[in-house]
Amino acid sequence: MKQFQKEFDAFLEHFSEENPALRDLRLKAFNKFKEIGFPNKKWEEWQFTDFSLIKNSNFRLSWNSELSTIPKNIPGRIQNTYLILIVNGHYQPRLSHLPNEVSVEEGIKYFKSNPEVYSIDNSSNPFLSLNTSMMNSALPIYIKNNIIIEKPLQVIHLTTDLSDKLMNHPRFNFHIGENSEATIIEHYIGSTSTSYFTNTVSKINLEKNARLNHIRLQEEDRASNHIADTSYTLDRESQLEATSISSGSKLFRHNIKLSLNNEGASARINGLSLTMKNQHHDQHIVVDHASDSCQSHQLFKYILSDRSSGVFNGKVIVREKTKQTNADQSNKNLLLSPNALMNSNPQLEIYADDVKCSHGSTTGQIDSEALFYLRSRGISKQKAMELIVSGFAKDIIDHIKNIDIKSYVSNHAFTWLEGSMKNV
Amino acid sequence: MLEIKNLHAGVDGKEILKGIDLTIKPGELHAIMGRNGSGKSTLANIITGRENYEVTSGTIEFNGENILDMLPEVRALEGIFMSFQYPVVIPGVNNTYFLRAALNSKLKHRGLKEVNAADFMRLIREKLKLVEMDEKYLSRAVNDGFSGGEKKKNEILQMLTLEPQLSILDETDSGLDIDALKIVAQGVNNFRNSERSFLAITHYQRLLDHMKPDFIHVLIDGKIVKSGGMSLAHELEQKGYSWLEA
Repeated sequence: MKQFQKEFDAFLEHFSEENPALRDLRLKAFNKFKEIGFPNKKWEEWQFTDFSLIKNSNFRLSWNSELSTIPKNIPGRIQNTYLILIVNGHYQPRLSHLPNEVSVEEGIKYFKSNPEVYSIDNSSNPFLSLNTSMMNSALPIYIKNNIIIEKPLQVIHLTTDLSDKLMNHPRFNFHIGENSEATIIEHYIGSTSTSYFTNTVSKINLEKNARLNHIRLQEEDRASNHIADTSYTLDRESQLEATSISSGSKLFRHNIKLSLNNEGASARINGLSLTMKNQHHDQHIVVDHASDSCQSHQLFKYILSDRSSGVFNGKVIVREKTKQTNADQSNKNLLLSPNALMNSNPQLEIYADDVKCSHGSTTGQIDSEALFYLRSRGISKQKAMELIVSGFAKDIIDHIKNIDIKSYVSNHAFTWLEGSMKNV
Repeated sequence: MLEIKNLHAGVDGKEILKGIDLTIKPGELHAIMGRNGSGKSTLANIITGRENYEVTSGTIEFNGENILDMLPEVRALEGIFMSFQYPVVIPGVNNTYFLRAALNSKLKHRGLKEVNAADFMRLIREKLKLVEMDEKYLSRAVNDGFSGGEKKKNEILQMLTLEPQLSILDETDSGLDIDALKIVAQGVNNFRNSERSFLAITHYQRLLDHMKPDFIHVLIDGKIVKSGGMSLAHELEQKGYSWLEA
């Protein structure tokens, strides 16, 4: 905690000219963080994950002046997309290119006009407060009403070139105006082997009849810690297609909150976690049906090899008096090693009658019958396992409509697969 | 082509096959009949190399080579194929992709050039006609959402595509209606030639009426107790198996 206090004080000093309201918010948020403290095993929602490494690692903030050369070939770049590039927490406007319809106001301007977006809510998540206190790459992306942006927008948050253990607290706000449509890739990449800590918060807001494809790619270095909080708020008749593919970081914790706040909103949130060695992926998803005729579909898959472990905790809440709710939730896990571990806890909380809900969870190993079947056709054991495992992941990847993104994700998943299957 | 000598084998320490001798020459179609639990499927699984079966004594040679130490995929590449009694559903693995991967694995093994996607489509469309399968089954995952009949046709389609020297048909007739049975039998019959051999495992005479095996063997309690021609199948149909039991 001392280290975080030190960094927070340095941050306030560095940005002493900051807007007083924002400064006030940071102070409040940091106090709240101190009050809550780091999660421990007694906290029900956090019990399967050990955060002591983050607590004790002495991470420090990175300053713009420290940034040395930026790699010419930005890793993870997806073809035919616009780019917003953030390196070690610092937005690179000169290397970014955006469509005219998208405005990236600097954080402070956005904060002035939209203070409510930054208010510390009643969340008991200490990392959310920590993020608010030190958010250092606040980047709101604002798409006005009645605009269709054909080409996807790729936001790359790159961590690179480190000598010290750095931390960053990126804060994204994606606002999709009425009747507007966009595809946004939120992409975290690490190209360093020094441990670091990314503590990111994304608030995503879909206005009436807006459509968003949100692809979240977490490819941090396996020595890193990645804590994320993603919240979606959907207005009337808006549609969200969200896919989260995560293969990076030693410790990954992702809280996802989906609020279906007005009639006819619909969302699909899919996730694929790929873990090896001693990685730990912990995802908590809350879907809140607060209005009539809303739909939500969740499919989260984990493929775990070596000694890696996963947690899926998904909750669907259907509020009182809501009508015509349609919600399903499914968690499927494939263990590639006898030492891999999965904790799955799907939950439904239904307070209304007019509801169609389903949920389920399965965890298993590679089907030996399927393996023998493929081998009996002359396909090697290695190749047969690759086919079965990539087949397991296929429906998640198939939900990605954009062909360039899909091809990037397929390649990434396949490379991961080849790497992880060597030890099986 | 296939020579089984004094084969004793089982699962979990329990002996199922108690001394099988069987020789199949090129061009021959042999049928093995017997009750459930007599060891028919065990024999098929041991020839194809399924794990968990233990051969305690005896030998199996294929084209003069001992196959018992070969991996299942190597046996397949050497020319052994089994049409499964229960074809396995493999979610997310495209049927066409699977068929092409299997064929290319075989072509590569023989030192031949692999087939590209376009040429493979031409080839597979021809084969589909032979088993009267709809093209839609190509774009599905392997056996996913296939009816019982379509699954068996898909097995025969694989046989026609991979062109094995020895095809083991493990209860290929089970779960088939009369029309599908005819199509499957026809597919096998057209595939027969003087080089290719077959081992059909069945409970019923039905399939054999269509395929006209050269030899029929009756398997009871892990032993071949009687061998003969087509007349033996008719006899079994009338009298059952009890007259052969000791």
